[in-house]
Amino acid sequence: MRRFLRLLAFIFASTPALLLAQSSSAIERVIAGPVSTVMVHKGSSTPVQFIFHVKPGYHINSNKPSTPELIPTVLSFSLPEDLVIGRMKYPAGALISFPFDPSQKLSVYSGDFTVKGLLIAQPKANPGPFTIHAELRYQACDNNACYPPKKLPLAFNVNIRSGGHSAPKARPNRTSPHIHGN
Amino acid sequence: MKRSVLFIVLIVVAITLLLFSGKYFSKGGKAANVASAAFQGASDAPAKGALAPDFTLKTLDGKDVQLSSLRGKAVLLNFWATWCEPCKIEMPWLVDLQKKYRMQGLEIVGVAMDDSGEKTIADFAHKMQVNYTVLVGSEKVAQMYGGLDGLPTSFFLGRDGKVVDTALGLVSESTIEDAIKKSLATSGATNTAAAR
Repeated sequence: MRRFLRLLAFIFASTPALLLAQSSSAIERVIAGPVSTVMVHKGSSTPVQFIFHVKPGYHINSNKPSTPELIPTVLSFSLPEDLVIGRMKYPAGALISFPFDPSQKLSVYSGDFTVKGLLIAQPKANPGPFTIHAELRYQACDNNACYPPKKLPLAFNVNIRSGGHSAPKARPNRTSPHIHGN
Repeated sequence: MKRSVLFIVLIVVAITLLLFSGKYFSKGGKAANVASAAFQGASDAPAKGALAPDFTLKTLDGKDVQLSSLRGKAVLLNFWATWCEPCKIEMPWLVDLQKKYRMQGLEIVGVAMDDSGEKTIADFAHKMQVNYTVLVGSEKVAQMYGGLDGLPTSFFLGRDGKVVDTALGLVSESTIEDAIKKSLATSGATNTAAAR
């Protein structure tokens, strides 16, 4: 009986989250892949990569769209002073012409694409866990319509380790602010 | 015995509550769902035969235009944006159709849904040699027309201000022209109050 009540409690606890996830993913045309915890020693850097999936039937502009009116795909971060991100590398877009204009090729991402960067922990960074918030701004289209620009929020964990081999002191997790505005 | 009864009651209560929570969350996510469903025919968009919701928006040179002031004319209300490639494809068609049917009473109204500023819209309209009215859209008007999740979206209004046809996404020039002809064929009832 206790086991059943525990199961019931679990179902109730998880249902709203599941339903919310379903309702929000229904309008997302791009999904972010999970990012495993990034370990970096203070004063050094480590490569990071973010995998995204554009849902079938849609495409989004690459980071360098074909015409100036088109909105580029950009990944931005909200970082604490302890961390810096640099050398952002976006993949080149595939040059594809679409049925609405076979004469023009657009630079787009479809399917999976990966954005790479270098995460640098400042020499004076505080060791310990951080949760970093980021946001992918994209504008999706399908073969006969375009959809307003969207921001896909994502978060990942970073663990800054002190330079030496001593175990880091236990510190509370710090969370970078969410990104707001355009 | 008591335990099994309690067990069954708990299951019934659990299922009932789950169903209610599902209903609640689907209601909470209504705006998002309507937006994504725009291209399967947004339920909140004015349907054929309904009076087009009235609004007042500004032209690129700052003049107010009220939709209901165009009663008596056939109106093609075309929602577009500078970042929308399919919208760019139909703009030259609209320019030609405006020229062709202006004398018969066609008024094409392009509502730009950009948030990049009036200058960007004006420069783009100039580049595309737009010869019809361009208004600067707003979120409020977008909501009045079903959320406008996808662009281009066109509403063809009869001379009486009622929706004759709609086009969601890019359609062929002949489809647009056929819908314009249907709008032009309507008779005006200029004293009809605007839907607000």
